Amino acid sequence: MSSIMWMVENVFGTPAILLGFIVFVGLLLQKKNVSQLMSGTFKAVIGFLVIGAGSGVIVDALMVFQPMWKEVFGLEAESLGEFMGQDSFNAQYGSAVALAMTLGFLINVLLARFTRFKFIYLTGHMMFWTTTIFAGIVVHTVGDVSPTKLVIFLAVIMGLYWTLQPALTQPFMRKITGNDNIALGHTSASVALLGALAGKYAGNKDNDSEKIKVPKGLEFLRDSNVITALTMGVLFLVGAIILIAKGTPGAEELMAQSGEQSFIIYAIIQSFMFAGGIAIVLMGVRMFIGEIVPAFNGIATKLVPGAKPALDSPVVFPYAPNAVILGFLGAFFGSLLWLVVIGNTVSYIFVPTMIVIFFHSATAGVFGNATGGVRGALLAGFITSTVVSWGQYIMVNALLSSTVPDTAMWAADSDMFILGPIIKFLAQLFF
Amino acid sequence: MKILAVCGLGQGTSLILRMNVENVVKELELEADVEHTDVSSASGMPADYIITSAELAESLTGHEGTVVIVNNYFDTNEIKAALSEALHS
Repeated sequence: MSSIMWMVENVFGTPAILLGFIVFVGLLLQKKNVSQLMSGTFKAVIGFLVIGAGSGVIVDALMVFQPMWKEVFGLEAESLGEFMGQDSFNAQYGSAVALAMTLGFLINVLLARFTRFKFIYLTGHMMFWTTTIFAGIVVHTVGDVSPTKLVIFLAVIMGLYWTLQPALTQPFMRKITGNDNIALGHTSASVALLGALAGKYAGNKDNDSEKIKVPKGLEFLRDSNVITALTMGVLFLVGAIILIAKGTPGAEELMAQSGEQSFIIYAIIQSFMFAGGIAIVLMGVRMFIGEIVPAFNGIATKLVPGAKPALDSPVVFPYAPNAVILGFLGAFFGSLLWLVVIGNTVSYIFVPTMIVIFFHSATAGVFGNATGGVRGALLAGFITSTVVSWGQYIMVNALLSSTVPDTAMWAADSDMFILGPIIKFLAQLFF
Repeated sequence: MKILAVCGLGQGTSLILRMNVENVVKELELEADVEHTDVSSASGMPADYIITSAELAESLTGHEGTVVIVNNYFDTNEIKAALSEALHS
């Protein structure tokens, strides 16, 4: 009995070890050789631990960004308050997240096997983030929860979401891809649907975005590291210049943080640190998701005949490359507008991370174009920025302020914001 | 032989591409280590072949490995044709 307890506490209670174990089993099921077993399992453990390190870097940069823009808008200094942060949240609830993700996937496979929704969700990093954010909402709402209950609750919700989300977007996917072979499995589904609706009612389908010529040289927009550093760099730089010009006591205090270094250079370096932190977290996620998803896929294809893979949002980009850029432009304009409006009305500093803005608005842009041409794509992008900016404000302040608001600022997005209040409501009901 | 599957974020799309490339590699009876990554990391990683889209290929010119362009990441026939052509040239 004591050895079972030891297993439960140390293997299932230590998220990195648990993930290593899940990956190990997954690789065994795929009949990998000893060397692949070793490298896969080790990479999963390291990857999970790397996430914590990257989150720390992101939070440090956010701790400069937020006060800076608060001072720019002349807002009352209100810090994020006490929160656990991704690193310690993972240490405490990471096991529950990993288990809920695995069981939620199995529920998805079962639903695909026995219902007419034949979709298998394969976008592993979004599976991880969505489960994390929803766990953050539950823990924030009801306090300390029993791990078993948390796992069951999340697994059922995730399983349903991963099965139904691709089904909801599939009618438009058929229109975009021209076939029924692949589905969208991504948290941008809600803005994609809203974009498609906006395009339908306010767009002009005949003015297809693919008829216009977009200038070459926008390829850098496809590189997430570059666009994150670029946009955050612009915002940090503008913030720094305004602070220097203002010269208020609050501004002086912030500027003192850079010490001997020029405050402008210091601010620019912070934006690169922020992008670097995201790159570190994504490397960590890649290391374990890259081992889990092939195992998931192996299980699904064996169990579900005629399964359709629900895939990451860039699958739709090649079908309308111009709509991708138009969606991004609509969202970029929208996020700058909302940064100022939200800052001046509800005193919240919106952190527009490009991963959220670009990938979500690009997807919405393709959907908007499919129903409403150029105007549809631009509108869809603007809708995306509206959902993610106001959504971030509500999420960070009201839904998970004591758990992982740091993660919600850069890795939470469209569907999570739309479903967030429902998760809170259900958590109150069931816990 | 080392092959990199590359997309913009290095998470989902490149992983699916990696899985499809692994299948193709098996069909062609090759011995290859396939990894997936984002485009910025890829330019600094040693590899014999880099498989990616036409848009990202431009940022990878200058890499020592051969860049193989695939339009549809889910079409194993296209991947197979593109990879075989690169192998034999």
